[in-house]
Amino acid sequence: MNSLLVKAWLRDWRRRPLQRLLTLVGVVIAVAVVLAVDLANQSAQRAFDRSMDEVAGTATHQILGPARGFDEAHYRDLRLAGWRDTAPIVEGPARLPDGRTIYVLGVDPLAEGPFRGAASDIGDAPVQRLVTEPGTILPPSGWWAGSGMAHEDGLTLETTAGRFEVTLLDRAAERDEPAVEADDEGGSLWVTDIATAQTLLGRPGRLDRIDVRLDDADIDGFAELLPDGLELVPVAARDQASRELAQAFRINLTAMSLLALLIAAFLIYNTQTFAVLRRREVLASLRLVGAGRRALFGVVMLEALLVGVIGTLLGVLVGMGLAQVLVGQVAQTVTDHFFVVAVTEVTPRPLALLAVIALGVGLSLLAALAPAWEAARAASPGSLGRGRLERRARRGLRGLAVAAVVLLAAGGVMLLLGTGGLVGSFVALFLLITGFVLLLPLVLAGVLRGLARLGRGRTLPRIGVRSLERSLSRSAPATSALTLALAAAISVSVMVGSFRDSVEQWLGQALTSDVYVVPVAPAAARSGARLPADWGETLARIAEAESVSTGSSQDTPSAVGMIDLYVVEPHPVWLDYLPLLRAEATGEALDRRLRETDAVLVTEPFAAHHDVGVGDRLEIRVDDGRRMFEVAGVYRDYGSPQGTVLMLGERFYAGTAGAEEVGSFGLRLPDDVDAGAVIERLEAWLAERETAAMVTRPGDIEQESMAIFDRTFAITHLLRVITLLVAFIAILGALMALQMERAREFATLRSLGLLPGGVRGLVVFQGAVLGGFAALAAIPLGLGMGWLLIEVINREAFGWGMDLRWPGREIAETVVLGVGAALLAALIPAWRMARMRLVPALREVP
Amino acid sequence: MEQQGSIEGAVLSLTDVAFGYPGEGEVLHGVDLELAAGERVAIVGESGSGKSTLLHLAAGLEAADRGKVHLTGKALAGLDEAARTRLRRSRVGIVFQSFHLIPTLTVLENVMLPLELATDLDAAQRRERAARQLAAVGLGDKGGREPEQLSGGEQQRVAIARALVHRPALILADEPTGNLDSRTGEAVFGLLLEQVRATGCALLLVTHCDDLAGRLDRVLRMQDGHLQDLAAEASAT
Ligand SMILES: Nc1ncnc2c1ncn2[C@@H]1O[C@H](COP(=O)(O)OP(=O)(O)O)[C@@H](O)[C@H]1O
Ligand SMILES: [Mg+2]
Repeated sequence: MNSLLVKAWLRDWRRRPLQRLLTLVGVVIAVAVVLAVDLANQSAQRAFDRSMDEVAGTATHQILGPARGFDEAHYRDLRLAGWRDTAPIVEGPARLPDGRTIYVLGVDPLAEGPFRGAASDIGDAPVQRLVTEPGTILPPSGWWAGSGMAHEDGLTLETTAGRFEVTLLDRAAERDEPAVEADDEGGSLWVTDIATAQTLLGRPGRLDRIDVRLDDADIDGFAELLPDGLELVPVAARDQASRELAQAFRINLTAMSLLALLIAAFLIYNTQTFAVLRRREVLASLRLVGAGRRALFGVVMLEALLVGVIGTLLGVLVGMGLAQVLVGQVAQTVTDHFFVVAVTEVTPRPLALLAVIALGVGLSLLAALAPAWEAARAASPGSLGRGRLERRARRGLRGLAVAAVVLLAAGGVMLLLGTGGLVGSFVALFLLITGFVLLLPLVLAGVLRGLARLGRGRTLPRIGVRSLERSLSRSAPATSALTLALAAAISVSVMVGSFRDSVEQWLGQALTSDVYVVPVAPAAARSGARLPADWGETLARIAEAESVSTGSSQDTPSAVGMIDLYVVEPHPVWLDYLPLLRAEATGEALDRRLRETDAVLVTEPFAAHHDVGVGDRLEIRVDDGRRMFEVAGVYRDYGSPQGTVLMLGERFYAGTAGAEEVGSFGLRLPDDVDAGAVIERLEAWLAERETAAMVTRPGDIEQESMAIFDRTFAITHLLRVITLLVAFIAILGALMALQMERAREFATLRSLGLLPGGVRGLVVFQGAVLGGFAALAAIPLGLGMGWLLIEVINREAFGWGMDLRWPGREIAETVVLGVGAALLAALIPAWRMARMRLVPALREVP
Repeated sequence: MEQQGSIEGAVLSLTDVAFGYPGEGEVLHGVDLELAAGERVAIVGESGSGKSTLLHLAAGLEAADRGKVHLTGKALAGLDEAARTRLRRSRVGIVFQSFHLIPTLTVLENVMLPLELATDLDAAQRRERAARQLAAVGLGDKGGREPEQLSGGEQQRVAIARALVHRPALILADEPTGNLDSRTGEAVFGLLLEQVRATGCALLLVTHCDDLAGRLDRVLRMQDGHLQDLAAEASAT
């Protein structure tokens, strides 16, 4: 390639570094955002999968018993009967002194061999010590680095059974190896011997489950061996619900990342076409002195390639950094909802890398292609005029509009037919969004023309509006990007806002007691913790309560796999407070039905996930074995995304001695009682117990729940901000381009007497017009997207229904935000234009 | 428009003005020029000799490095950008070689622009006066057109109307016929002269056509960064 040609073209980087850098920044930011979101998504999935694997290991089946565990003698019997591929487990949450929650996994190190990654990796040395020295525990290898602790240090763990001093063992130190730099934090499973775990978790002589590996042929024979009260459950069933949930969470993230992709594409297109168009005179002159078409085309594409490659590389770096922030957020969400997981490493998948390279490099080339081709083909500088390009762009509008209508129709039809499940809904959503966005340039052109007509006689505003219209290929993509970003903001506020309201309202209804006594454990692990059932009477006496309720949730096998069963002994007239959606009876009749016959209530997500309704029958394992229950009603509940089955204690313990332990107590106090004094008395009594428990009030629970809720959705807010930032840059780029292209006009206006302040005003006015348009267009788009997310996608994914809330305040905020972003973006070009030197801009063209 | 003259009655006066572009050598080395109210002066000289630069200084688009520029008696040196702009828009009209019409405005709106910027006439008055000015340059029926729909000669006539519509004291014209063929150029030049005469304002015109220059009151030559009076030279020899 001719080196002078390359020089002529690339020298512009020295002449206008700011503009060229903006092109690069466009690519960097677009690539970074898309990659970061994908990484965060990916890491969350990996963290989740691994915590599943670590806990479940490679077992094919699990032997489960009553919620409080079963006698360890059963395990010995199995081994004696010759079943070697079995491993006993005692597991539960515990708290570190720094407040972090860990998950204690008590295993038989000698039996573990084939089962678990984390546990089988124990190696040879520490097994001896774990087994022979009570109170020794093996933290995950990645934990040591930030802990300030060393091999054989002591540490206090807090569990529902009390506080215990344990001795930390480091596998590396035990094996006499140099401490390996942990490649990741290794999950959060703390492995210990089964005997130690029994002590820590307060379950002497008991097991929570036995992991088993079975060939298909052996299953029946094995199941027969099991004594009454124990059950063989395939592992997949247990995982299923949680996996589905993780899926739903991922889907919300994916929606955001696709949106980011769309906006990023706009950004790159915008900055790259600008980079070429800006220098069309250079091309024209080169062409005049005889440069060949192919050579010119090559030079332009070479630059686009360079920008694409460098921008993508930088973008990948920035994106990895950004991902660290997002991953932290996501990991916290996963911990709150699913399992206790540690933050995982951030490594891009090859596929994601390929995607961002295609985005960064491919789109850069593609965006440069059209103007480069145009420029290379043109014979004279005159035919390269912006006017001609813009006229072509305007003709293209009609094509866009046709495409838009087709997409909108396709999306609408898909949605109406409701085919394709969740993926189908997503495809429909994106068809609709893309269709809407493609329609925007046409609408923008119309609106600008209308404004210009309105502004007849007001010369300056008319100049502003008409130059926007004439540079539609500049202004429309940027406006579309801003519209998308704002619509995303609105839809997320509609969704999260509606969700939050519904949850808050539900909490208000669901918490019917004045005071609760609950085990000391983090919210995420609370369902595993228990209190002695016989506390009830004493607590009621101390509190002088009108009534006591209890509730315990547990994982129980059923005809539809493992389910979350909530066993309650409610207050009187409890059904008045339960938000029933559908039921075969109400009030006392329903209460009697639930107390006297085998009937249950299920939550809305449960009904959706398992496709059950009022009158359907469900086999559920209760205290003394499996029985058939009839679904008597469906109620609204956001407590568990997998869904919950609510059963009265009478039915669960029918025919057995009754509950030994419960998950929590609820005390209803007389109206005139001082709750503060009651709490003090209860706390004094609890302080003398061995079991760690605490008193909370509905307000505290509500607060904690809402805090978890807000953390879950914090990432969407963060993405919103990033998206808006990208849109801001798109607007900035477009306005800069616009002003540069119109520099001569501005200089002419200045020579005619327009003050520098007037120039600033004009540019800012243009920003306001674009911002205002984007904000107005974003309202219908955002509301529509929000509605789809709630009514179609979240229902499909979570089975959660919620009352739609039209967020007036958020919409107003978004309008302000949009116009604000556009105004802010206008400030830089406004300032530059006002300070522009007039004479060079006015120079006579030869 | 109030025709405020200077104390000496000069519309424009440059005294020992020197100027160089940043990073380049000096272009003007000490220019003296005095333009009385209503006087019409031509500047000729080789390309690159600094004629346009002189006009830019006179219009206050650039500031002199040395010497004094007075526009209708006001010293430009003491004024900031905004004040210079205000002075320019009320006292000066500019006609460029390549017209510089605003493409996003109609022809009539282009002519209305100086009225909007420099006067406090209401919209109806502005429209009326611009239409009259447009008719005076023979384009009364083209007010609704876009500038791009006009020929070069017509565009320059619009530019002349725009430069005159607010009755400035001084018209600065930088090779107004430079982009036109000779016949059209002749016609446009005639029109410009006629209009300047009709409104009684002063004219400082740059041209490389001696023929056209000869039709003005005075001809100056720009040479080596100085202005020389050709008539004075002629009478000296
Ligand atoms: N913006 C500028 N920056 C640097 N040099 C300039 C600029 N404009 C003009 N010049 C230089 O100043 C000199 C005078 O230019 P100009 O006044 O346009 O001449 P003329 O109008 O007589 O042809 C020329 O040598 C030209 O190269
Ligand atoms: Mg010149």
